Amino acid sequence: MKILLVEDDREAASYLLQALDEAGHVTHHATDGETGYAMASDMDYDVLIIDRMLPRRDGLSIIESLRAEGNKTPVLILSALGEVDDRVTGLRSGGDDYLTKPYAFSELLARVEILARRSNPLENTNIFQVGTLTLDRLSRKVKRDGKEILLQPREFRLLEYLMKHSGQVVTRTMLLENVWDYHFDPQTNVIDVHISRLRAKIDKGFEPALLRTIRGAGYMINDS
Amino acid sequence: MTAKPRFLRLWRTTTFRLTAIFILIFVLASISLLAFMAYQSSIQIQRSQAQAILREINELKRLEKRRSIRAVANAVQNLARRPGKGIYYLGDNQGRMLVGNFSSFPRNVLLRDGIYTIDYKQELVFFDNDNRKRKKGYALIYSIGLNDGFRLIVGRDIVERRGYTAIIFRGFLFGVIGIVILSLITGGLTAMRVLRRIDIISNTSEKIMTGNLSERIPVTKRNDEFDRLATSLNNMLDRIEQLMIGLKEVSDNVAHDLKTPLTRMRNKAEAALRKGASDKDRIRALEENIKESDQLIKIFNALLLIARIKAGTPSGSFKQFDVNEVVNDIADLYSPLAEEEGYELETKISGSMIIIANRELIMQALVNLLENAIKYAGGGEQKNIKIFLATREINDRVEIEVADNGRGIPKKDIERATERFVRLEKSRSDPGFGLGLALVKAVAKLHNGQLILRDNQPGLRAIISLPKGKN
Repeated sequence: MKILLVEDDREAASYLLQALDEAGHVTHHATDGETGYAMASDMDYDVLIIDRMLPRRDGLSIIESLRAEGNKTPVLILSALGEVDDRVTGLRSGGDDYLTKPYAFSELLARVEILARRSNPLENTNIFQVGTLTLDRLSRKVKRDGKEILLQPREFRLLEYLMKHSGQVVTRTMLLENVWDYHFDPQTNVIDVHISRLRAKIDKGFEPALLRTIRGAGYMINDS
Repeated sequence: MTAKPRFLRLWRTTTFRLTAIFILIFVLASISLLAFMAYQSSIQIQRSQAQAILREINELKRLEKRRSIRAVANAVQNLARRPGKGIYYLGDNQGRMLVGNFSSFPRNVLLRDGIYTIDYKQELVFFDNDNRKRKKGYALIYSIGLNDGFRLIVGRDIVERRGYTAIIFRGFLFGVIGIVILSLITGGLTAMRVLRRIDIISNTSEKIMTGNLSERIPVTKRNDEFDRLATSLNNMLDRIEQLMIGLKEVSDNVAHDLKTPLTRMRNKAEAALRKGASDKDRIRALEENIKESDQLIKIFNALLLIARIKAGTPSGSFKQFDVNEVVNDIADLYSPLAEEEGYELETKISGSMIIIANRELIMQALVNLLENAIKYAGGGEQKNIKIFLATREINDRVEIEVADNGRGIPKKDIERATERFVRLEKSRSDPGFGLGLALVKAVAKLHNGQLILRDNQPGLRAIISLPKGKN
């Protein structure tokens, strides 16, 4: 997919460009706010990655201008400001996701890929399916091989989020933010325990295993 | 402070300037009061002299009516010879003086009746003293025509009146000068005293700025406004000194606790660069380095958060919310983990409990307490460890409690447990970095509350006690 990176730190940018390239994405780069804004409004990108503090024009004002022009390209904001208030102002300006520096590349990649596919019509479907696992958002029923699986409400939301992004890596922080609405890093492996409980319910006794752990990144549900 | 001339510094003091302004106002007020008084009294003197003149004229007119003009002439002659400041004239219709002691009147005075004031040269006509110099004179006169064209003029010299006013003003001038000098001296002295006190304060602050942080402003026994100022400044200095000491301790601890993982990282990177290292070793070293640096980032984030909370986050981040809902959410998130570790997690809450606070920070504090309980409750002799999450209202306070019946904290360590980077001996080997409780304490303080640690016999009770916000 086509990505625009607006980042003034050249070293961080060149590392990101290389890593995104290895992940199979075409990435353009702008080193200041004005150029970044011009490129974003002239060309079609799938995702914009915009640093919050940029020379010549700050990131949030770029996003506001783009949104005012009707440009709906998903934006991931990168920022050294990580407090809840900062995040709120970032998202309020029209950003779609917010990542605090320093971050793991796997975290950034997972978020970018989810943002890029956000515009697909999955948002409006009521039944998710991965292999023989189905989840019905209306009747709130989960079935594997036709057999109904009973899930706690929170487990249901966890599985719903994973299946909505099936085939994509979902990080622990993303789960914590989207399923529990928490914005801090726990010191314990609290998410892993939830995942292993969910796995025991949907994968135990079935073939193949659908919910996989992606080392160093997070989790992914897919049928392969 | 650069040394300026003493007077210039004195002039720049508020006390001195106030004194000067008061002196000015006083002088102006006195001058106008005195001017008014002098004016009034001179009018009074003039009026009484006019009455005296009128009385004499009436007397002489009556003499003319009853006797003759000759009798009037005799009387005028007698009056004119009398010592005093009287002016007398009796002339014929040609304007020639018959009797009297003064004749050089302006022409119109001799032609028309009326009251006049005239300037004249005082001549030898007066017998009141031996000093017969010609002086400038000023007189109030009455001119009146008698029968057969005779003209009678009676007057009084009123230089006297002016002399009176001059005396008043001279006395007043001395008084004002005296008062001005006195107030200048007292104002100057007061200003100097003030200046001296302020110099003491600024000298002290200069000493403090050069690094002697234990210096304090001397407080006198007078308990005046300067002493109050000095006391509050000293209290501020105490607080600053405490903070500095705290900061130093923290930076020492940071240096120690951050250097250790940094050294480990460096060693691992170096080992990975060794010639004999296999790819597998190198990958593992890099992965471990990432893990270590993630941990370092977490330490920094926690430190920054504590610093930000201690500096006071804007109160705009305070919102109304239900604590019990937060407790339920957290219990929901953590109960699988607690069970995995072999604990039972129970909540003791009822209904909703609305408070005004920073939701994220209260949540973070609660998570820290809970994670501490999960990490440290076990390992003792106690079996069947339970962790309780509870909230309750006591009078005007709200308490959020995380309690366990695990191994607890020894009594002597309870005080230290909430300090930054303090890890109690037993937990040195466990993961974590000793910031959890410090953060909880900072959060409680931000909400004007406190963190209370108690022995649960056995185990630990950690209570966040907050004042209930105004609804």
